Amino acid sequence: MDKKKIARVTSFRYQILALIFILLAGGLVLLPKYQKQEGIKSEALLSHATSPERYISTDQIANKIINKDPSFILIDVREEESFKNYSLPNAINIPLAKLFDEESLPYLNQSQFDVVFFSNDHFYADQAWMLCNRRGFKNLRVLNGGLNTWFTTIINPEKPSQDMPAEAFELYATRKASSMYFGVFYPDQQAVAEESISNTPAPKKVITVQKKKKKPVEGGC
Amino acid sequence: MGPLIPNGLIPMEWDSIIAIIIGIAFGFVLEASGFSSSRKLAGVFYGYDFAVLKVFFTAAAVSVIGIYYMDYLGYLDINQLYVHPTYLWAAIIGGIIMGIGFVAGGFCPGTSLCAVAIGKLDAWVYVGGIMIGVFVFSELYSFFEPIYNGYFLGNITLVDSFGWNPYWVIFIFSIIAIVAFVVSDVVRKKVKKVFYS
Amino acid sequence: MKTDKKTNSHLYWNPYYGGFLLGIIIIFTFYLTGRGLGASGAMKSSVVTIVDEVAPTHAENNAYYSKFIKEDDTPMNTWLVFETLGVLIGAFISGSLNNRIKWRVQHSPKITSRRRLVFALAGGILFGLGAQIARGCTSGAALSGMAVLSTGGFITMLAIFGSAYAFAYFFRKNWI
Repeated sequence: MDKKKIARVTSFRYQILALIFILLAGGLVLLPKYQKQEGIKSEALLSHATSPERYISTDQIANKIINKDPSFILIDVREEESFKNYSLPNAINIPLAKLFDEESLPYLNQSQFDVVFFSNDHFYADQAWMLCNRRGFKNLRVLNGGLNTWFTTIINPEKPSQDMPAEAFELYATRKASSMYFGVFYPDQQAVAEESISNTPAPKKVITVQKKKKKPVEGGC
Repeated sequence: MGPLIPNGLIPMEWDSIIAIIIGIAFGFVLEASGFSSSRKLAGVFYGYDFAVLKVFFTAAAVSVIGIYYMDYLGYLDINQLYVHPTYLWAAIIGGIIMGIGFVAGGFCPGTSLCAVAIGKLDAWVYVGGIMIGVFVFSELYSFFEPIYNGYFLGNITLVDSFGWNPYWVIFIFSIIAIVAFVVSDVVRKKVKKVFYS
Repeated sequence: MKTDKKTNSHLYWNPYYGGFLLGIIIIFTFYLTGRGLGASGAMKSSVVTIVDEVAPTHAENNAYYSKFIKEDDTPMNTWLVFETLGVLIGAFISGSLNNRIKWRVQHSPKITSRRRLVFALAGGILFGLGAQIARGCTSGAALSGMAVLSTGGFITMLAIFGSAYAFAYFFRKNWI
């Protein structure tokens, strides 16, 4: 008897399988939909926030500008007036209030360029960084210390005292050279300065920013 | 949250090892399903054996249902998966040429590899033919390039191109698959049997 | 041809079972690597490697080969080549478990094995050409594409099977 029963059930096995199959597929349709969290997850945001890649130093930026590195765009998040007053070369002004405006999104939401935010210090730039990161935009950086640090390190570098190590002098020389590039005039080095403006004295040391090793998905035959 | 390797949850070094393991499973299933026999494969076009249709549609439906369930449950982020790019005319023309090649040669590349592994000489010749075909394409690349790179619609899915709800697409796809299975069984009973070994 | 129906019908797995397992493998592939399966990619890599060995300057000048030639690595070091090696191993294991391994040409009794080989070569050339144009074969474009509902995958699948059915009539002598 049992065998007969089993045989009867198994003769319908394809119908049963088809039914299970359709139920599973239909389940997807019927399952309650929930709104997926927009942007990235909090854990990922945290790991971005603690990543050393978050900040970029004024020296690195100066270096990149002098080398005419095409891989980044500078975003000035201060108000328009301050931007007109002074800003970094080739910077784009997107005041914090207009961060998510239609016309600013193409600059921020792309994967070709590194986006470097800066403001007077890095307070507003950090907020812009956080907001954009939350949206899931990529390759965002903050200029460490903002324009204030820019002035104290690049435009008006502090001369090292005699007892400081050699590296400090090297750094000073590099910074001084950069500041000449950005149009600062040193009375004792007039000739050199003029020459260096035309030659764009690129510092020898190229600072490479290490990117996380991550492979994009690819595929196909 | 998957996919595991692109998200760095499994180190990149495992990529190749996982590739071999997945390949072994893939080859085993294809061979065990009879895909190393060109006469079994060609049967789908003459109605005497629908194994290709059944395996192919079952695999596609199971995988798409599984992937969407995993996405729903949060194990897999569907937006991170590689979506085969759509080059409209390249897909159509390439597909038509492949179709002729399929019915003439009786294999597709994956199945021919299975047949190579078990010593079918026609599959060896077929694989040689594929390599010649690739060679011809590469040599005449400038001639094919307008089709190859033209009509690019992006890495789109049916959801993007038609605005369909993916869940309904899957549901309808599953029903089509089951109808196809039923029809194929009916057809097979009517067609004269062909035996092969 | 001898027809031993009993052994024949039990020779291979139930197609639904095979398809189910294949679907699970595809899910795992996507879950682990974020990409689908493939087969013709490895043959492309082999061709690129051979051409690069035989005529390196030609390979570099050709717009298509040069896409796959890497400075510090061979073109063979790709995911698909390793996967294809696995396919060969897996098929060999399955074939040996079922005693299917032997050197032979499988063809319909109505045609000669020479004719079968000629058609296999022609079919291979066409498939290789088509797979390059469509950027993938039945496994890479159609099967893996359909698993993520790729529009291109569905188009390729329809085109392959549509044209195969359309042209099946002309090749019927080879098969039935």
